[in-house]
Amino acid sequence: MATENAPVMITLQSNDNHIIDVEKSVAERSLLIKNMMDDLGEGAIGQTVPIPNVTEPVLRKVIEWCEHHRHDPPSTNDDESDNRKKTTDIDEWDQKFMQVDQEMLFEIILASNYLDIKPLLDVGCKTVANMIKGKSPEEIRKTFNITNDFTPEEEEQIRRENEWAEDR
Amino acid sequence: MAGTLITRAIQMPPQPNREDIEATWNYLQTGITKIMTNLQDGMDMTTYMGIYTAVHNFCTSQKATNIGGGTTGVGQAHRGAHLLGEDLYRKLKEYLNQHLAALHQESKAHTDEALLAFYIREWDRYTIAAKYIHHLFRYLNRHWVKREMDEGKKNTYDVYTLHLCQWRIEFFTLVHEKVMSAVLKLVEKQRNGETIEHGQIKQVVDSFVSLGLDEHDASKSTLDIYRSHFEKPFLAATKEFYQTESKQFVSENSVVEYMKKAEARLDEEEERVRMYLHNDIATMLRKTCNEALIADHSALLRDEFQVLLDNDREEDMARMYKLLSRIPEGLDPLRQKFEAHVRNAGLAAVAKVASDAEKLEPKVYVEALLETHTQYQTLVKRAFTEEPEFTRSLDNACREFVNRNDICKAGSSRSPELLAKYTDVLLRKSGTGVEEAELDATLTQIMTVFKYIEDKDVFQKFYSRMLARRLVHSNSSSDDAETSMISKLKEACGFEYTNKLQRMFQDMQISKDLNTGFREHTKGLQLDKQALDSSYSILGTSFWPLTAPHTTFNPPPEIQTDLDRFSLFYKNKHEGRKLTWLWQLCKGEVKTGYCRSSKTPYTLQVSVYQMAILLLFNDKDVQTYEDILSATQLTPEAHDAAMGILLKAKILHMKPDGDKPMPGKTFQLNYDFKSKKIRVNLNISTKTESKQEEVDTNKTIEEDRQLVLQSAIVRIMKARKKMKHSVLVSECISQIKSRFVPKVGDIKKNIEILLDKEYLERLDDDELGYLA
Repeated sequence: MATENAPVMITLQSNDNHIIDVEKSVAERSLLIKNMMDDLGEGAIGQTVPIPNVTEPVLRKVIEWCEHHRHDPPSTNDDESDNRKKTTDIDEWDQKFMQVDQEMLFEIILASNYLDIKPLLDVGCKTVANMIKGKSPEEIRKTFNITNDFTPEEEEQIRRENEWAEDR
Repeated sequence: MAGTLITRAIQMPPQPNREDIEATWNYLQTGITKIMTNLQDGMDMTTYMGIYTAVHNFCTSQKATNIGGGTTGVGQAHRGAHLLGEDLYRKLKEYLNQHLAALHQESKAHTDEALLAFYIREWDRYTIAAKYIHHLFRYLNRHWVKREMDEGKKNTYDVYTLHLCQWRIEFFTLVHEKVMSAVLKLVEKQRNGETIEHGQIKQVVDSFVSLGLDEHDASKSTLDIYRSHFEKPFLAATKEFYQTESKQFVSENSVVEYMKKAEARLDEEEERVRMYLHNDIATMLRKTCNEALIADHSALLRDEFQVLLDNDREEDMARMYKLLSRIPEGLDPLRQKFEAHVRNAGLAAVAKVASDAEKLEPKVYVEALLETHTQYQTLVKRAFTEEPEFTRSLDNACREFVNRNDICKAGSSRSPELLAKYTDVLLRKSGTGVEEAELDATLTQIMTVFKYIEDKDVFQKFYSRMLARRLVHSNSSSDDAETSMISKLKEACGFEYTNKLQRMFQDMQISKDLNTGFREHTKGLQLDKQALDSSYSILGTSFWPLTAPHTTFNPPPEIQTDLDRFSLFYKNKHEGRKLTWLWQLCKGEVKTGYCRSSKTPYTLQVSVYQMAILLLFNDKDVQTYEDILSATQLTPEAHDAAMGILLKAKILHMKPDGDKPMPGKTFQLNYDFKSKKIRVNLNISTKTESKQEEVDTNKTIEEDRQLVLQSAIVRIMKARKKMKHSVLVSECISQIKSRFVPKVGDIKKNIEILLDKEYLERLDDDELGYLA
């Protein structure tokens, strides 16, 4: 059994073959890892956990977030009425945490989706949402480096359909 | 398939092309098969992560846009991204179906316990695998399955539930009958006394319960499957088993033995539920057992009840009670039998002591009643858990035998009379020396009988007469006991019932104060002679059941002065009150100064009549019959009774001797009177006197009842103004019931009297009206 003095460590291996040691309780913010540890039981401790879909820098970043949030209450599963979802407010530490280049931001989102870390996925998505908020389509295209492949007719049709959402 | 794919330490193939469903599935199938069939060898993380990643990668592959079908139109764009996964889900389901079909084939090789073992083993393996696969396919669950369910698609479940559903459809429906028959065989073995591996049954139960999925909401579970596929056959088998067993057992054993057997079987089944069945079956199982073991044999059991009663088989009666209380209306016939039995027992107990009704001691009679009551009350307590209905049967029976038995043949007033007399015996100062605590316990028992007495007014009459006597003669054994008895009666019958009794006590207290006052008053008068040591009781006419003496009387001059002084004293205090001397209750003490045989004078305790006679001998040693009568003014009857006792005690001699006192006889003081005691009690009531009193009491009861009836009728009519004759009669009965049971004829008679007296009038249609 794990005691407070000697936390159980597990070893993660990123897809570029870097080894990262991390406390089991921190790693288990990922439901994927938690379920796996539960399924495989005691025998799994000591084995290296391959994380084939995540590169080292992203994995380290995700672990940093998990460390900081290690004592958060476990997220209530699939709670649609969860306030967290409704607001785009992000706590200060997370805002700072998310001040990374766009590529890293998307990598974090993909990784948290893969690793099944719902609160982190939410924070990532909210960050992106905040980047979109208040911008014109043109500005959004610029922000995310998207080329406009709509014909003018298509664009007009979409605008009409979404008129209700315009600020007045 | 199961055999062919297993190899030790499967090497997972390299990660497949994420967009290729066939390649992905082939990759996944290798892993799933390992989980399904060979998990005990453990699983490494690479495999685990590999499968998870393959599922994730397939579901997130860019191919998504193409699967949505045809053109990626503008219309589809705002429905959100299409989620991949249907192919995986379908493949998984197909895989499960194949696996289960193989299991079914394999299961055919097994029967009975081997089949059970097979079922349980495969169930365990399958559900553990399901949990793994559920986790590994979590990405599918989180996105594709969730979307499908959100959109309300039927028959799409999360991966774990999918496993259960397929098990149910593809395997369970094919084998459950065989599995159940194996379970039932095992249970029957246990019921026949063999030891079985009941953990197996428990596991089957759990499996059946797990399969109960709500069709509409997979997150909820129901017990439908368990109920229809387990409970139903289980209950049917139980019923058949116990029907057969009990039929045979009953034919070979006594009823008592059968009850023990049934009791044991019922306990066993309760234990069975606890041990390995689902609690849901408990109620139905109990019902089934109750029917087969008790209801089917209830007639037989009830027939035995009388035998048990006759033989005081308390334990067996308790057993029978417990058994029959488990079935609806099981106890009613027992209660009826019990009631009849108690009534007969009570009647028999009375008959035993009633052989000599004239000389019957009240104590013996009351104890006979009490003994029966106590015996069966104990039985109700011990065997029938003091159940209220049994208590009521006991009460009914007691009421019957208390009011209608051999002693009461002449009239139901005998019971209350004897009870009152016994109470008098207990409360009177006597040599019996009953302890205070014991006395109160006995009084409580008296109240037990009292509760059953119907003619409570008769008891009241006798009780008040005897209380009056105890108070006047101040020979109550204890004031506390008297008070306690009255409060007991008050509790049972209300204030009105004991009102007069309490007033009697008050009169005695007032008299005490009055005597103190009188003594003070006498001291204040400068008297030439020493005052008489006297004490007077003033008894309110309406509260005391006493009547003026039947004889005239001329009190002797020795006490006359004191009497006059007291009368004057009292009249000054309470003007307008009339004093009537109840000579027959008066008594006194005189001292002998003439006896030759003893130096110390004797003290004679005498009635005032005797006193008057004796004092005459202060003047003359010999008196004639006629002289005495004229001096005392007593009637011959009163005189003869008083004189009779004096003669018998040899205080006086009669000449000529023999015969009764009568005109022509003379009486002489006996100077040679001898007695062992210094105090000699001569104030004894004779048999004829007390007989007379009894008759009087009974006569007043009848008179009083007529008055009670009339006042009840008037009271009712005053409240209702108009009433049907028959309704009035029944209302009357219900009001008076607590005092005595009125006869309908008496009520009618009294209605007639009231009509004559014009309290009531006849109206049309058999109605009566009240005239103010």
